[in-house]
Amino acid sequence: MAETTRHLTVRIKRFDPETDSAPHWEEYQVEAEPWDRVLDVIQKVKWTIDDGLALRRSCAHGVCGSDAMRINGRNQLACKVLVKNLPDNTIRVEPILGLPVIKDLVVDMKPFFDHYKSVMPFLVNDEPPPTTERLQSIAARARFDDTTKCILCACCTTACPPFWGDRKYVGPAAIVNAHRFIFDSRDRAAAERLEILNDAEGVWRCRTVFNCTEVCPREIKVTQAISEVKRALLTGDVGEIDASAETAAAAS
Amino acid sequence: MRVSGLVLVFLALGHLCITHILNNVEVINYAFVAERWANPRTGVLWRLWDLTMINLAVLHGFNGLRQILYEWIVRPGARKLVGTLIWSACIGLIGIGSYAILNFRKDEDYLRRFREANPPAVTEPSLVDTTIPAPPALATIPSLVP
Amino acid sequence: MSTTVRAPKAYRPGLFTRLADGLRSSYGIGQWSWLIHRVTGLGILLFLVVHIIDTFFVVAYPGLYDHTVSLYGGRVPWILDAQGNPVYFAPLRWAFRLSELALIACVLFHSLNGVRVALVDLTPRGALFQKQMFGWVLGLFIVIMLIVCYFVLVPLFHPPVFWNFPTEAVGPPPSAP
Ligand code: FES
Repeated sequence: MAETTRHLTVRIKRFDPETDSAPHWEEYQVEAEPWDRVLDVIQKVKWTIDDGLALRRSCAHGVCGSDAMRINGRNQLACKVLVKNLPDNTIRVEPILGLPVIKDLVVDMKPFFDHYKSVMPFLVNDEPPPTTERLQSIAARARFDDTTKCILCACCTTACPPFWGDRKYVGPAAIVNAHRFIFDSRDRAAAERLEILNDAEGVWRCRTVFNCTEVCPREIKVTQAISEVKRALLTGDVGEIDASAETAAAAS
Repeated sequence: MRVSGLVLVFLALGHLCITHILNNVEVINYAFVAERWANPRTGVLWRLWDLTMINLAVLHGFNGLRQILYEWIVRPGARKLVGTLIWSACIGLIGIGSYAILNFRKDEDYLRRFREANPPAVTEPSLVDTTIPAPPALATIPSLVP
Repeated sequence: MSTTVRAPKAYRPGLFTRLADGLRSSYGIGQWSWLIHRVTGLGILLFLVVHIIDTFFVVAYPGLYDHTVSLYGGRVPWILDAQGNPVYFAPLRWAFRLSELALIACVLFHSLNGVRVALVDLTPRGALFQKQMFGWVLGLFIVIMLIVCYFVLVPLFHPPVFWNFPTEAVGPPPSAP
């Protein structure tokens, strides 16, 4: 890759709800350094060429998950794509697919978060708390380690062909977050979550397309997590570790 | 889906193997089917195979179609309609398929006329007797006969 | 004077736009295997329906069955020659041979990839090896298809297998020797 300033042609799918009935492509010419991120490039467009461009971003370091967009036909966080890694000097930038577009690159995340909420993504344990924390062994923590990494950027759910077709499908992100608690030895609501995911719009809508695993900016093995949930549904086994033995092991 | 699919892998690939590879499709006709299904010794097994295959295949196939359509048709009413149509088609096809397999009786009259129209010199001798024939196709492909 | 400000309408692409847009996206082989799996499945289902109906003739109308399946050998059942046999039309035979090959390819791919999907869903570590497994699916598919091609295409270079169709008139019973 050339380590020199690159002259980029940035094509952005624009949509202004006040004047447009459908999105259209706009083209911008931008100079970019190899160490710039695509987020910087888009912001350069916004700051120097067209300040009407709408996009979400916050941390700019791949942590908050607000700048998911389709870059060159692939869901990515704009802040994690370096200009020097771009294959050529034309970039296509579109909003993520399957959620209503509010303006330009900003989509309505409400349906996404509704699905997320529907799987009870919080620890449920009504047992009286011990005097210390609820302890957990390293092995039990490792069981769901992969799915704790989710930042809810919606890259996976909006890369999922069944979700493109059926927006009632809870989607990979919700299943990942259900997985995070289903396999947590401290949690007591695995059965309820599994029942929610056993619904027609639940985990069985997954067609093992693997787009979610492919795009996850946190490299979560999403399809693996989903198939673990599927198997838990088939066998009824969530690898429940005996809680008291567990606590004792952790305490010692 | 997974289970019926895995069973079908063997049934359907076996079926294709018999009808398209071990035999040339061009030799498959009424006499061929009659020989298989009405064979006094192995007929039951062939019918069982075909019956299982047809039932599983129709269920697997139409369930797959239903899943695809449910993915694209989201309104509950429309889904109900699609589901009803698909299950009716399923029942209909399983019905006529199973009827054909279970009610098959060898039509001796037709077979006799068939033999008359195709004297053994022209066709393979296997069409005449009811014992298990050698696969006729290989003999019709000269290059495969040493 | 007060004005009502209505929230501008968000843009919801229609189903076909979404699917077309999605298929333009560049993800890994997972999406392709899914797409091919689906298309081959639909193709097989279509043939299955036809095949059940034609096999149904076997029970009630042996003659009709023979005429129908003669189509697969490139004979045109609705055009009869002087002897009452369907006429033979070589391009039709080629067309049916090639579609036969396509059908076998569909079933074979759908089976192999179906095994892969089942392994992904039913085994603890299947999802981690999906790409390798797809390699196996493709490899096996190509090897088996080459063998199948040989067996299915070789008869095309030999004269077609003809049998005569019995006439509908019932002849005298064969005299016992
Ligand atoms: S801006 Fe926070 S993840 Fe990219």
